Amino acid sequence: MASNFSGALQLTDLNDFITPSQECIKPVKIDRKPGKVGKIRIEDDGSYLSVNDEGQETRLEKAKITLNDCLACSGCITSAESVLITQQSQEELYKVLKENLRLQETGQAEQQKLVVVSIAPQCRASLAAKYKLSVQETAAKLTGFFKKIGVHYVFDTTFSRNFSLLESCREFVQRYKESETNKTALPMLSSACPGWICYAEKTHGHYILPYISTTKSPQQIMGSLVKDYMATSRGVPANLIYHVTVMPCFDKKLEASRSDFYNDIYSTRDVDCVITSVEVDTMLQQEGISLNDVEPVEIDNIFTQIHEGQLLNHAGGGSGGYLEHILKYTAHNLFGQDVTQINYKVLRNQDFQEVTLEVPGQPVIKMALAYGFRNIQNIVQKIKRGKCTYHFVEIMACPSGCNNGGGQIRPEGEETPKELVDRVTATYNSIGNSLPDSLKTVVDVYNEWLGEVGSEKSRKLLHTQYHEVEKMTNALTIKW
Amino acid sequence: MSQNDLDNANPTIYEVGSERAILPEEEDESVTDKIDTREVFDLIRVINDPEHPLTLEELNVVEQSKVIVDDDANKVTIEFTPTIPHCSMATLIGLSIRVKLLRSLPPRFKVDVSITPGAHASEEAVNKQLADKERVAAALENSHLIEVVNQCLDDQKRKLG
Amino acid sequence: MAQLKEVCSFDGHSDRAWCVAWNPSGTLLASSGGDKVIRIWGKEGDNWVCKSILSEGHQRTIRAVGWSPCGSYLASASFDATVCIWSRKEGEFECIATLEGHENEVKAVSWSCTGSLLATCSRDKSVWIWEVTEDEDFECASVISSHTQDVKHVTWHPNKEVLASCSYDNTVKLFKEEIDDWSCYSTLESHDSTVWKVCFDKSGSRLASCSDDKTLKIWQEYLPGNTEGVVTTGNNPTWKCVSTLAGIHDRTVYDVDWSHVTGYIATACGDDCIRVFKEEDCSDKNQPSFNMICSVTKAHEQDVNSVCWHPKIPGLLASCSDDGSVKLWQYLEN
Repeated sequence: MASNFSGALQLTDLNDFITPSQECIKPVKIDRKPGKVGKIRIEDDGSYLSVNDEGQETRLEKAKITLNDCLACSGCITSAESVLITQQSQEELYKVLKENLRLQETGQAEQQKLVVVSIAPQCRASLAAKYKLSVQETAAKLTGFFKKIGVHYVFDTTFSRNFSLLESCREFVQRYKESETNKTALPMLSSACPGWICYAEKTHGHYILPYISTTKSPQQIMGSLVKDYMATSRGVPANLIYHVTVMPCFDKKLEASRSDFYNDIYSTRDVDCVITSVEVDTMLQQEGISLNDVEPVEIDNIFTQIHEGQLLNHAGGGSGGYLEHILKYTAHNLFGQDVTQINYKVLRNQDFQEVTLEVPGQPVIKMALAYGFRNIQNIVQKIKRGKCTYHFVEIMACPSGCNNGGGQIRPEGEETPKELVDRVTATYNSIGNSLPDSLKTVVDVYNEWLGEVGSEKSRKLLHTQYHEVEKMTNALTIKW
Repeated sequence: MSQNDLDNANPTIYEVGSERAILPEEEDESVTDKIDTREVFDLIRVINDPEHPLTLEELNVVEQSKVIVDDDANKVTIEFTPTIPHCSMATLIGLSIRVKLLRSLPPRFKVDVSITPGAHASEEAVNKQLADKERVAAALENSHLIEVVNQCLDDQKRKLG
Repeated sequence: MAQLKEVCSFDGHSDRAWCVAWNPSGTLLASSGGDKVIRIWGKEGDNWVCKSILSEGHQRTIRAVGWSPCGSYLASASFDATVCIWSRKEGEFECIATLEGHENEVKAVSWSCTGSLLATCSRDKSVWIWEVTEDEDFECASVISSHTQDVKHVTWHPNKEVLASCSYDNTVKLFKEEIDDWSCYSTLESHDSTVWKVCFDKSGSRLASCSDDKTLKIWQEYLPGNTEGVVTTGNNPTWKCVSTLAGIHDRTVYDVDWSHVTGYIATACGDDCIRVFKEEDCSDKNQPSFNMICSVTKAHEQDVNSVCWHPKIPGLLASCSDDGSVKLWQYLEN
C-alpha cells in the first residue's frame, strides 16, 4: 500500500516484508494471563472462546488497536494507515449523518449530533485549483455541499489560526526574554505540522522537544473553539457535537487522535474526524456531483475569517505565516520597529530560506523556513550540536509546505506536481490578507472565551505538550 | 486477533528421537572424524522455541531428514518448518538456527538455512533475509535481539523449566 | 596462464573484515570490519605494515570506508547509524565530524569526483547526499527514498555528478540533481536478488553490478540520439544490461571493482574465491564478451567481502574476508 503520510513519517518506518498484521507489535504487549493456555475455539460468529482444562469457557476480547496505540509506539507507521481509514474517513462522517437522519425519522431528534465542518484554507485552494473556481466560490460551494448532506455548520480554520498566530508571537517574545537563563528557550520551532511533531517525538525526543512551541495548531484550536466555547455558549454537551476538519494532510489525522486532545469529562475528541482535500473530492464523486454544479451557500461567519462578505487570509505563505507574524510582532514589541517588507534569502534550496531583522545598535533576530525532510535534518543536527543561530524556525514536513500536503488533490493529465503546487499557491494567495487581531469577532471571542491575554484559561486551551516515544526494545518485534 | 498472544497457542508436540550413541572411534582424539547429519541435527534439535517451553525438535520445526551435510564440500543445508504458515517467529527461529551453527561449526562451512518449501506465507522473504549475512551481522549487534536468541540457544533453560 | 599472486596477507582485524579501499594516490589502504576499527596499511621499505588504527569513532561494525578525491579525508559508514569523517594531517587521523540522520545501519559511503558531495546509504532504505561546506561542515542536501528496501551501496560517476545505488530490492538506481532536489532518473531491473555492489568503469558510460543471484552484469549507457536506436526519454540516457555472466560464481557475489587502470573487473564471492574478468579485444560494446582470465579458489579461508584495484599500479589488488584477513594480490600474465 502506498503511504500518504509525509516523508518525515515514512522514513522512520521499516515496513519491510512483514505483512501489516505481523508487523504491528501491539498484540505482543498485551499481558500474559497466568496459568496454562487452554484451547481456543472459534465460534460461528467469528468470536473466540478460550477453553481451559476444566472445560470452562471464556469469551476472548478482540484486541483493538487505536490510533493512540500507534502514536505511542515507535514501531510502524504504515499499519496505522489502515487504522486511520477505519477511524477517520468520509465513511465515518457519512455514518454520523445517517444516524442523525434515522433519529430524525424516529422522533429522537434531541439525540442528534450537531455536525460541524471546519475547512482549512489550503484545502479550499486545492479544490479551487482543481475545479477552476475562485476561493470565494469554492468556500460557498463547499458550504452548500456539506449542508446538503446534513452538516449544520461550516467554518474556516483561518479563524482559529488567528489564535495560533497570536499565541505563537507571545510565546516567542516570552521565550526570547527567558533565553538568557533557559538554554532550550531558543530557537523556538513551530508546532503546527503534525508530521514534524510525530517525527521529533519518535526520533529526537528530549533533544528537540523542549524547543518546540507549545502553541496548538489551528486545527486543534478550532477543536477547542467548537467543543469548549461553542458547546458552552450554546449549551450543547461537547459529546453531542461531531467536529470534522478538512485538512491538506493525512498527518493531521494522527494529530486529532492524540490523547492530549481528548476530553475525559465528555469522552470526546476536540476534532472527531479529519478528512483531506482528496477525500472531499472522493465524496463529491460518490455523490455524483461536480463542485462546479453545487448550489453555493454562504459560509457560517461565526468562526470564519470574513469581513464585509470577503474571505481573508494571513500573510506569510501557505503554511500559515508563522515566521512572518512572529518577526513583525517581535520587531514591533521588542525593538520598536515596524517591518513592512520581509526579504527572504533562499539558502540551499527553495525550501530553506532565512530572514534577518536588523536593528541599529540592537541584537539581530534571525529566522528561517525549513520545509521537507532534508532541511529539517540540518536544523535538528545544528541544534543538537549547539550550532543553530536562528531564533525561530518555521518547520513543515512537506517540501513547499502545506499547499503541497499529502492530502491535497493530485495533478491530472499533463500538469506536473510542481505546476499544480504553483497554481494552488497562487489561488491561496489570491485573496486579501488580514492581521490576526484585526477582526472584531476574533477579539470578542478571545475576550469572552479566554479573558485577558496570558490568562490561565488561554494557557490551558491554547497550548499543548509533547511526549518522547521510547525506542522499542521488545526483541520479538525488532525488524532486522 | 485473539487476546492470547501466542501465534500458535496449541502446537502439536512430537516425540523426540533418542540421544545419539557415541561411537568408540569418535572418542579417539587422533582421528579427525567428519561432521555428519546427526551431529548437526544434535546442535539444532535442542534449540528452544521463542514462545513455547519446547524445543524445535519437539515442535517438529527441525527434522533430521531436512538436514543435509556435505563435509567434503563444506556445506550444510537446513530446512525448518514453522508450526503455522503465518508464524511471525519464523525469522527469529531461522536466526537462532543460523547463530547456533555459526557458533558451533568450523568456519569453513557454508551454511544455508531456509524454510521448508510451502511451509510459510512469507517464505521467500524470510529466506532472503536469513541468507543476507549483513542483515544477520547487524541483528547480532542488537543487544535486545541477541538476548532472545541466546535464550533460544540456552539448553539449560529447557532442563530447568 | 594468467594468475593472481599473493603479495602479502595481513592479520589485524579481530572480526570479519568488510571493506578495503585504496587512497587516491595508492600509498595507503584502509580496511574496516566487525571489530569496529579502521586499519590504515602502508608501505615501509619493502614491507606493508599497519600504520594507524582508528578505533574511537564507531560503536558498531564499520561496514565501509571511502577516501575523498584529495586523499585528505576518509569517511566511514557504520552499523551504529553514523558516518565519521576523518581528516588526515601530517599522517595523523582525526575524527572531525560525525554525520547523524540515518535511522539505522549505514552501509556505504562515496565521495563525488570533486569531493564536494558525499553520498551515504542505509538499511533505512534511503540515500543521503551531503554537501561539504568550506569550513569542513557537512549539510544534508537531499534525502532520497526511492528504493523500497535496504540500500547496499552507493557510488558516484567518475567525472559527473551522477550517483548510482543498489539495493536489497534487486534494483540499481541512478540519480541526478533536477531543479531543486535530487531524484532518481533511471531504475535498472534485471537482477533476481539483492544487488550488493555497483561500480562504474573509467569512462562512466558502463556499470558493473553483482548480486545474490550469483551473476555479474554489465550495463551500457545510451545517450539521447544514440546511433543504436535505443529509446531514451527526455534528456536522460537509457541504461541497458548488455552482458550477464552467470554460472561462474557459486555463491553470492559481494563486491565488484572495475579497474580504471587496466579495465579488468575483479569480483569478491561468498565461495571464498576472487575472480578476474577481461573484455575480449574488439568486443562489440552493445554485446560485449567478458572472459574470466583467472581465479583464486580459497583466496581466503571464508567469504571474500571486498576487492579493490590499486589506483596506479596495474594489476595490484586488495581483498578482505570474513576470516578477518586483508590480502594484496598481483595480477601476472605469463
